[in-house]
Amino acid sequence: MNENIHNRALQLIARARVEGVPETDLTWLRAHLEECDFCTEQARQTDGALRMLRTSAISLPQGLAGRTQFRVRLRAQELREREPGRRALWVACAASWAFGLVSAPYVWGLFQWFGQRTGVPKMVWEVGFGLWWTIPALFAAAVLLMENSRKGEQSDWIDQGN
Amino acid sequence: MASPTLLFSTLMGSEAKSIARGLQKRDPDMLDRLIEQYQYRLFRYLAYVTGNKERAEDFFQETWIRVLERGHQYDGKSRFEAWLFAIARHLVIDWQRSKKVQSLDTLTDPELDYPLQLVNESEPSPLHQVLSQETEENVQASLQKIPAIYREVLVLRFQEELQIEEMAGVLSVPLSTVKSRLYRGLEALRGALQGGAAS
Repeated sequence: MNENIHNRALQLIARARVEGVPETDLTWLRAHLEECDFCTEQARQTDGALRMLRTSAISLPQGLAGRTQFRVRLRAQELREREPGRRALWVACAASWAFGLVSAPYVWGLFQWFGQRTGVPKMVWEVGFGLWWTIPALFAAAVLLMENSRKGEQSDWIDQGN
Repeated sequence: MASPTLLFSTLMGSEAKSIARGLQKRDPDMLDRLIEQYQYRLFRYLAYVTGNKERAEDFFQETWIRVLERGHQYDGKSRFEAWLFAIARHLVIDWQRSKKVQSLDTLTDPELDYPLQLVNESEPSPLHQVLSQETEENVQASLQKIPAIYREVLVLRFQEELQIEEMAGVLSVPLSTVKSRLYRGLEALRGALQGGAAS
């Protein structure tokens, strides 16, 4: 029998198990398998391998679910406790930004007046105004970064002992 | 009348939506139920991917912590298990990166300290487990011979029965890559089991 025919059969055997094949190909394959012992054996071995894979079992560590549920509940409690603090932080930031936006023209005027009075270079009081405007955002970013680094430290347990 | 397939997918869809709602609220009872429901499948996946039961347990717990923390990101449009396996996989990959490991294979390199030891011999073993132990060991030993990227797709497709599209999502690779890994993995599994039977 032609080598190409065997190759096609072997490809169809694998495809049928991985993603399925059209009915016409399946009909052709069935007809081929009826007369080819080599390909039938290949199909049998493939099915056997998959059957073994599907039916193989592993034993779970005792109390796995219980230990995990305990850890998850602890973490949930921690998150719940932290939530009001975080909400207050966002509210404070939002209020600060809103106030900053509304008062910006007045504060600009104030910085300008102060700069002229003290003879500070324009660049300096402009930077001062910029800082005044961005400080709430910088503060919020710093708090979030600190929280993230703490979270990172907490998940370092996974590396321990490995 | 609705076809069984349509009915099944509708039920699956409503189950996924209800999980998404529970995760949004961080419902502790629902999380407990999910941990119990998926413990075997998730642990088996992690055990096969990492090749080490103790490490798999660490990842198992960390996966559920992530599910709690990032539950709001699950929208219920896909199957929950696909999202769960994606989280677990990302944790393993992140851990590998932190260890500067080059590929999944290094995790199960027999030269390393943690060889694949999936059968826990210290646990009590009922009669049926004893009878099937030889087959289990044969499969596990054969899987150990297969590169981890192929082992992973075989487990996801033929044990977890994920669709190829879902696997592409879990693995973050194109469909064609999933398929080629599956074909190579199937070939490798057949070869490995034949080799195991011969030896």
